[in-house]
Amino acid sequence: MATTAEGFDAHHDTHAHDHADHKPSFFKRWFMSTNHKDIGTMYLIFAIFAGIIGGAISGLMRWELAEPGLQIMGQVVEFLGGEGTFDQQGHMWNVLITAHGLIMVFFMVMPAMIGGFGNWFVPLMIGAPDMAFPRMNNISFWLTVAGFMSLMFSAFVPGGTGMGAGVGWTVYAPLSTTGSVGPAVDFAIFSLHLAGAGSILGATNFITTIFNMRAPGMTLHKMPLFVWSVLVTAFLLLLALPVLAAAITMLLTDRNFGTTFFDPAGGGDPILYQHLFWFFGHPEVYIMILPGFGMISQIVATFSKKPVFGYLGMAYAMVAIGVVGFIVWAHHMYTVGLDVNTKMYFTAATMVIAVPTGIKIFSWIATMWGGSIEFKSPMVWAMGFIFLFTVGGVTGVVLANGGIDDNLHDTYYVVAHFHYVLSLGAVTSMFAGWYYWFPKMFGRMHSEFLSHLHFWVFFVGVNLIFFPMHFLGRQGMARRYPDYTPAYTYWNEIASYGYIIMAASIGIFFINIIYAFTAGKKAAANYWGEGATTLEWSLSSPPPFHQFETLPVIEDHHTADDHISAAPARA
Amino acid sequence: PVVAQGAESAAAPVEATVAASVEAAAPAADAAAPADAAAVEAPAFDHFGADMIIGQPEARGVTFQSQHSPNGQYALWMHDAILMPIITVITLFVLGLLLWVIVRYNKRRNPVASKTSHNTLIEVVWTVIPVIILLVIAVPSIRLLAKQYEAPPENAITIKANGYQWYWGYEYPDHGGFEVISNMMPEADAVAQGLPPLLEVDNRMVVPVGVPIRLQTFGADVIHAFGIPSLWFKMDAVPGRINEKMLVIEQPGIYYGQCMELCGARHGYMPIAIEARTPEDFEAWVLSKGGTLPGTEVAAEAAPAPSAGPAPAPAA
Amino acid sequence: MAGAKNHDYHILDPDIWPLVGSVSALTFTSGMVLFMHEMSGGHLVLGLGIAGLIATFFGWFSKIVMEAQRGDHTPVVQLHMRYGMILFIASEVMFFVGWFWSWFDFALFPAPLVYDSASGLWSNIVGQSGEQAARVFPHEGIHVLDPFDLPLLNTLILLCSGTTVTWAHHSLIHGDREGLKKGLWATIALGVLFSCIQAYEYSHATFGFGGNAYSSAFYMATGFHGFHVIVGTIFLAVCLRRAYLGHFTPRQHFGFEAAAWYWHFVDVVWLFLFVSVYVWGGWGAPIH
Ligand code: HEA
Ligand code: HEA
Ligand code: CUA
Ligand SMILES: [Cu+2]
Repeated sequence: MATTAEGFDAHHDTHAHDHADHKPSFFKRWFMSTNHKDIGTMYLIFAIFAGIIGGAISGLMRWELAEPGLQIMGQVVEFLGGEGTFDQQGHMWNVLITAHGLIMVFFMVMPAMIGGFGNWFVPLMIGAPDMAFPRMNNISFWLTVAGFMSLMFSAFVPGGTGMGAGVGWTVYAPLSTTGSVGPAVDFAIFSLHLAGAGSILGATNFITTIFNMRAPGMTLHKMPLFVWSVLVTAFLLLLALPVLAAAITMLLTDRNFGTTFFDPAGGGDPILYQHLFWFFGHPEVYIMILPGFGMISQIVATFSKKPVFGYLGMAYAMVAIGVVGFIVWAHHMYTVGLDVNTKMYFTAATMVIAVPTGIKIFSWIATMWGGSIEFKSPMVWAMGFIFLFTVGGVTGVVLANGGIDDNLHDTYYVVAHFHYVLSLGAVTSMFAGWYYWFPKMFGRMHSEFLSHLHFWVFFVGVNLIFFPMHFLGRQGMARRYPDYTPAYTYWNEIASYGYIIMAASIGIFFINIIYAFTAGKKAAANYWGEGATTLEWSLSSPPPFHQFETLPVIEDHHTADDHISAAPARA
Repeated sequence: PVVAQGAESAAAPVEATVAASVEAAAPAADAAAPADAAAVEAPAFDHFGADMIIGQPEARGVTFQSQHSPNGQYALWMHDAILMPIITVITLFVLGLLLWVIVRYNKRRNPVASKTSHNTLIEVVWTVIPVIILLVIAVPSIRLLAKQYEAPPENAITIKANGYQWYWGYEYPDHGGFEVISNMMPEADAVAQGLPPLLEVDNRMVVPVGVPIRLQTFGADVIHAFGIPSLWFKMDAVPGRINEKMLVIEQPGIYYGQCMELCGARHGYMPIAIEARTPEDFEAWVLSKGGTLPGTEVAAEAAPAPSAGPAPAPAA
Repeated sequence: MAGAKNHDYHILDPDIWPLVGSVSALTFTSGMVLFMHEMSGGHLVLGLGIAGLIATFFGWFSKIVMEAQRGDHTPVVQLHMRYGMILFIASEVMFFVGWFWSWFDFALFPAPLVYDSASGLWSNIVGQSGEQAARVFPHEGIHVLDPFDLPLLNTLILLCSGTTVTWAHHSLIHGDREGLKKGLWATIALGVLFSCIQAYEYSHATFGFGGNAYSSAFYMATGFHGFHVIVGTIFLAVCLRRAYLGHFTPRQHFGFEAAAWYWHFVDVVWLFLFVSVYVWGGWGAPIH
């Protein structure tokens, strides 16, 4: 298990350096890329950019909600060229939350986790030179960008009561059909078509890569858990997104071509849309968290200097989450008028997911148990993740009870739940992955001090934002409201203060990046030391432009967490 | 007939009544002289004032609003006695384990990592115990659902809440089928009367207390949702379908709620205010609205009522 | 890319088509929005987008064909393509699940609808329950297409085309290039015939495109199937052209196989459509 990557590396360097590091010219390299690492980098940059926009929008939202009454919606509308009437202000709120939700889900978390980290590290971890379909990989990225631009267009065209699509990220009919005349919602729908097409192609690419391009000797049961997580995620994408595509195509034809899928006046059914949306939407939430699970597994094992506890259980827990994730969708629809048996079924099925998720939580802790833990920045983020995700998960179990959800549905309790699993879960795991792999990707060490500071400031900030939302939700504060009765002021104010702290932490994040690129030490091949055993640590930091030109071989006696001493095959 | 309700019906036919009645104890009957023909003949009605507010959020509140329906009490019990303790213990347990490994298994205290990566027993334990916990949750959960779906008795009073962009209309099919249009009360007026802004309305939904109500919801344009936190009641108002559920309110008073499904620009401004009155007061209110009492005017009732035949007079 | 590449994977040179394809896709969708809202420039933008997409498909697939001919498609790369195609078809299946879902929703849980022949409008009876709600599907007033007329013929045509494409495949495997061409010609002809019959039938149906749930679900489900038939026909036509160019060997012809798989998939979707939309879905309704 003791690792010196040098032997392998030295071989690699002398053998393949000159051509492996031959990089195309700037335009070719970044606009015509067929290189998984460059595409991964572009995805990460794009996700950070989208994260800034989505985070800035949530800043406007927190500003608006800091006290009762309408504070800034008027200015926002006027800024975008409207008159700022009362209705336009209300509409602008809806536009902002829609953009925030869609950007964070489709253009921040998904591109970062799957596009960014997945692209970078799936090939590296399985010992592959690139993805299976390098050219298709690139169109996945550019389609994501195209989708983002379509969403941006929508903000500047009429969408009913004002400019932009104010339909929520769920785009429920009939608000999104007869309820929103004007092209804005069409642009938003096409945004999902484009990004969705990109994701389906990406999913195909990942599945093919993982099934076909594992290094000799790396059986499925020897794959690192991050690769497992991306594999399951890719299946969820592949099977869930097309149903969304059908649903939003129905929206489109209802809006523009006279069909009546969701229009009861023509025998259609608005609830049908919700079924189709959530058949996609619930798997989608696991799409956003599974790669995070994968990263956390790598990190916890690395810094505990132990192999992952219960490897098979961990892998198959993710498979179970993926499978069960397809049959619980209507827990988002408890109040639409389901009959009692349906509601009982979905209550029971939903709660089942707590079991495999619990297996993961406890296995991470068991991995640390008996370990020799080093609290480097990724580990601190990972431990933060485990705790915060648990908080979000258990409130999910509260919501899973159909009878309880009758009160909590569409209140801030739900907002608190999903930000704990997303903004405090998925995002935290992304920062963990970022600090884990940043030097590997970019060749420079970040500041450990700043990374720790980033964590603590972020931790305080986001808890201040979102924990009080549980209280607001239980007190009955409804979602998607720009304004509220004064009784809700106290906790909203605290949440908005929390935002300022959180924003400061994002500042630290950027300072850290600048620090790394200007003053950071050069990163060694394996800068985390003996605990880091997967194949990416056998390569230089950053890895050569084309790695593994000679495939590494995983020998029989090696386990899933112990690839690095593999001897390269000489062909 | 329902779908035909135009937005004009929001025009305030009865605004003056509320303003007058909430003013003070003095029943300024003549202040309530609206243009509305029906209301002219009808006796004036005294609405509850701020002192009768029961269901509303409380400043800095951290838990649920107090519950005033039997199902609400059961649900609240289930949350407070089962769910909250369980999730708190689980979260603290996970936190405790994390702190323990931090203290015990850091590099300094434990320089050499163990190699353990399997333990079938413990893996079975942490699979089976959550299953048991979930079963413990499932039992009251299913019971709660069954309660919430109890069918209203034959003689329940039917009230239909129609969601419009952006106000509510309350129809009383058993009482002559009149519809009360309920808009949010302007903030300043509410504040002036000591009523919660953004929650108070011009015309409340008046219902009898202690009597089973067959509450139906319907969306006239887009989906809205009829949500009353203090009654543990929420039901979407969906175009093209009527949702129905029984509601029993135990205590006279005012209960606030809001539209709980995104419905457009003024989604945040279509509150619900239920005024629960004794059955006698309720009848008086019905008459003040120009409605009829069941049994007294059987013929008028046939039109929009989905419930079969003339319902016998409620428990009054 | 020369060098000490010691593996059989396909490392590609940089390529412009992904960027062009995405820009075209965005142009296309934006053009669609402009077009649907009758805004200025709609036709132009839409046209540009479509042209760009066609150019992308053409340019991109030409490259793949070229790479195949050049020998870049080693066995492992061919295996990639198999996986890729299977997964793509799996996602297409889920796309159709969405349309079937809406069909079965309307068929099994119909909303009460009435047709007023005087005004020619559909209207919904809301607030009625019991007998009035027990409406049948298809809605009153709809005269469905006789499933055992042209749709049955179309079923036979597609089934037949499934055999002709297998004929082509067998010929290819046995080195009989003439048989390959004949089989492909026959398959393409049957595909075109199917599309023509479908178009004829659409134009003679008594119910319009929109306006009610039955025709919405009917046209969108069968329409998307029809679109897939056209795509499949083009795919086969490309294979035919390649056959004339002397591409494909008995051992390596994945381009052809992919087209055949796709064709079978389209065929199976039709069988489901035929059974559940035409036969079961229209059962008991008056026939046009
Ligand atoms: C990353 C995203 C993510 C994740 C992982 C989850 C995970 C879960 N979610 Fe969440 N959810 C969302 C994102 C996510 N959710 C979003 C975005 C929405 C709102 C969408 C919208 O309306 O806009 C939502 C809404 C939502 C609702 C609908 C609420 C409503 O609208 O009224 C429900 C109801 O059942 C629910 C349940 C659950 C459950 C049971 C889990 C479970 O998977 C959680 C399992 C985890 C644990 C339970 C913790 C760890 C386990 C243990 C320590 C073991 C022991 C525990 C027990 C025995 C309980 N979620
Ligand atoms: C991943 C999803 C995600 C994330 C991260 C967030 C983050 C935040 N959200 Fe969001 N939110 C949603 C998803 C998300 N949200 C969704 C789906 C809805 C529902 C919308 C709807 O109702 O339709 C919602 C709704 C929502 C509401 C309710 C609005 C309403 O109902 O009226 C509020 C209110 O305060 C809110 C606030 C915030 C805040 C303050 C943050 C802050 O935490 C934001 C701070 C920013 C970050 C933490 C991101 C920083 C990340 C990067 C800079 C990228 C880093 C990249 C790498 C490391 C590669 N959000
Ligand atoms: Cu009506 Cu929200
Ligand atoms: Cu869910």
